[in-house]
Amino acid sequence: MAGSSFTRRRAILLLSLTSILLITLDLRGSSVVNGARSVFGTLFRPIESATRVVTKPIQSTWHGITHYDDVVDENRRLRDLVAYGQGANIAAIATVREAQELLALNGLPTLAGISSCTAQVVGQSPSNFSQTVEINRGSECGIKVGMPVLNAAGMIGKITNVYNKRAVVMLLTDPGYSLSVKVVNTPPTTTTTTVPGSPSTSSTTTTTTTTTTTVPRTTTSTIKGFTPGSTVPVTSTTRAPGDSTPPGTASPNQPGQNSNSQITVPPGADLPLRETGALEGRGLSKNPVVRFIENQPRFGAVAIGSPVISAGGATSLAPPDIVIGTVSKVVKRTGTLGPILEVKLSANLTNLNFVRVLLYQPITERPAEP
Amino acid sequence: MIDGFIAFAENKYTRLVLVGLVFLSLQTTIFNEMRPFDVSLQVMLLLAASCGLAKGSSGGAIAGFVVGLLYDFVLTTPLGLCAAVFSLVAYMAGYAHSFVHESTWWSRSLVSSVASATGMIVLPFAFTVTGAEGVLTLHVFTVAIVVAVFNAVFSVPVEMLCRWALKDPAPVR
Repeated sequence: MAGSSFTRRRAILLLSLTSILLITLDLRGSSVVNGARSVFGTLFRPIESATRVVTKPIQSTWHGITHYDDVVDENRRLRDLVAYGQGANIAAIATVREAQELLALNGLPTLAGISSCTAQVVGQSPSNFSQTVEINRGSECGIKVGMPVLNAAGMIGKITNVYNKRAVVMLLTDPGYSLSVKVVNTPPTTTTTTVPGSPSTSSTTTTTTTTTTTVPRTTTSTIKGFTPGSTVPVTSTTRAPGDSTPPGTASPNQPGQNSNSQITVPPGADLPLRETGALEGRGLSKNPVVRFIENQPRFGAVAIGSPVISAGGATSLAPPDIVIGTVSKVVKRTGTLGPILEVKLSANLTNLNFVRVLLYQPITERPAEP
Repeated sequence: MIDGFIAFAENKYTRLVLVGLVFLSLQTTIFNEMRPFDVSLQVMLLLAASCGLAKGSSGGAIAGFVVGLLYDFVLTTPLGLCAAVFSLVAYMAGYAHSFVHESTWWSRSLVSSVASATGMIVLPFAFTVTGAEGVLTLHVFTVAIVVAVFNAVFSVPVEMLCRWALKDPAPVR
């Protein structure tokens, strides 16, 4: 009995000392303890993953029972968001149509005037080195080599081979793809912090700090005396002899007399700045890049998220203003070399189904009319 | 070589570690997700208390220490803290049950429940001693009650498992 008690005491003492030792080592940041934890984590991870798979149905059942009301509420909230999104989408479509009408009214080229052919992707290239897909429409639909191909999100590529009822589309990510594009850079924004009121005026007032984001307007007008965005009165430079009427009281547009008519110089500094470059594919696993962007001070540093759209032009295979993607990374280069921009494509090229071939040919490619 | 491996595999603490790993995987997955009354159920503590019931106070203390050490490896708290507390819980369960004259399933459940509740109250104190802040709140009592009820319900099957895991090898004739 005494021996058993001694063994028990010894065991308890040993356990207590071990615990204290381990706690002390861990609190002092021992690498041995960290290493042991790391090794245990590596060994334990597969067991945990297997258990997670096995117990997934039980967890799902539990969540189904306990969180049913939350899911219903969230579903209702998401329906509202979808309805709101649909409304915004309709408004956006209306705005785009208005813009296209405005462009057409001014004789500028628009996508609305270009015929298209809707097709479905039926196959994909098994090669590791070329990114192409095959669509189920061909020359019978009016498709020709070089025509741009879009889906709902934006441009996906161009036609490279045409058969009677088949056509091959080279995707934007193919290393052989190249297209003239525009990068729409937004003006830089600065953050200023102002502290209204003087803290010394009263000993009991509370000081409030307000953070305001402002877009700086730069005056770049070449017209002397004109400030973009400001309204200025137009005053004639000549005055009739003996005229004592104070400025602004005479009727406008009378030669030799003052005028109170005003013109507004439209602000130009907050308009998006555009710069052209060449989009080049780099394979499916890498984002395409835009090269040959000029290093202009006016264009400034390209912001991440700036939209990239097709540039159009007489020799470009795509019409202008087709959405391609957004700038995801800017690689700056030294000297006068402009930056190289990585582009995150707006279209998901790994999951293509229905696409639209724009039956567009640049002016230089069109056959001469008899 | 093979004999050594078989002897290692037949060792009761090897079996306990394997059972502990299964329980630990359950603790970090399903019982981490299922939180009745916003309380994470503690199956590792249940295993430690059941070890105490199965092997008595001293044997249970060692088994509880091993179980707690396994739990410590996946927690961010100091290594050895849960080992010490779980060892105490197992010792307490074994020691308290030694006073029961005629053991029944409900007496075992009751002892397991009380030991678990004590462990869930001691644990935040231990965390506080080692520098953790904000763990000593009234929520500790809710946690202790919920864990005690859960462990009382499942103590009998887990104790049977512990008896199998900590079974001494049969003497060779």
